[in-house]
Amino acid sequence: MNTHLLNMLWVALLVATVLTWLIGKTGYTGPLAVSAILVIAAIKGWMIIQDFMGLRRVRLLWRGIVVGWLLVTLAVILIAYWLGLK
Amino acid sequence: MNAQHRGHAPRPYPPGDLAIWVFILAELAAFFALFAAYAFTRLRHLELFNEMQKTLDSTAGMINTLLLISGSWGVARAVAAVKANHVRASANWLLMAIGSGVGFLIVKYFEYGAKFSAGVGLDTNLFYTFYISLTMFHALHVVLGMVILLFVWNKTRRGGYSAHDHHGMETGASYWHMVDLVWIVLFPLVYVMR
Repeated sequence: MNTHLLNMLWVALLVATVLTWLIGKTGYTGPLAVSAILVIAAIKGWMIIQDFMGLRRVRLLWRGIVVGWLLVTLAVILIAYWLGLK
Repeated sequence: MNAQHRGHAPRPYPPGDLAIWVFILAELAAFFALFAAYAFTRLRHLELFNEMQKTLDSTAGMINTLLLISGSWGVARAVAAVKANHVRASANWLLMAIGSGVGFLIVKYFEYGAKFSAGVGLDTNLFYTFYISLTMFHALHVVLGMVILLFVWNKTRRGGYSAHDHHGMETGASYWHMVDLVWIVLFPLVYVMR
């Protein structure tokens, strides 16, 4: 595994985390803020699954199960949030 | 099965023991059920959840996210190091990851301490029932992950893993990354979005 890539991902994940925290801290709420927060979570999760877990080089079935878990979980959260807006 | 797969052909199985992956998938299913339960319960108690979420310490949640991500990075670097036969560096990276887990639990201790001393408990309201159950359930996984990493670290520093044999380390690493992945969803859901 390319250690430079791991280091870059680590920094990106830290920045994305602070960004999520800032969105909450500055009081941004509503569908746009929540969508941004969940997209950031999806990107962070994708990075962890692909390169920290190392599923990038594994058969699609395994990657699909874990990435699928991430996307379905975030989608269910988004749907529940969206229903609450009505 | 590990070091040999350096070509372009995808590996048939994920890193580590297949048994840990069965366990990981079961854990992910359990967390999915908890997250969905939280999201749909929030739907029926919007005002309560939105108000109560403001009483959480999101900075503590953010620091803990940084710690878990750093721990996951440390474990990934440990696996990369052992694959390059840098066994001592690998042990040091594992120790760093265990340290991040200790940091996570210290932050959690102060976070819970502030809540419990303010009289908050499982039966305070529905939001706090979820907050305490979800985060404590996750914290137990952090503890289990740390115990696994301690065993892996101990074997690593004794020279038990090498570039050709690091299956056990990948097993522990996969579990630790799962603990991180779950928190990546938990943090925005419970601490931030409203």
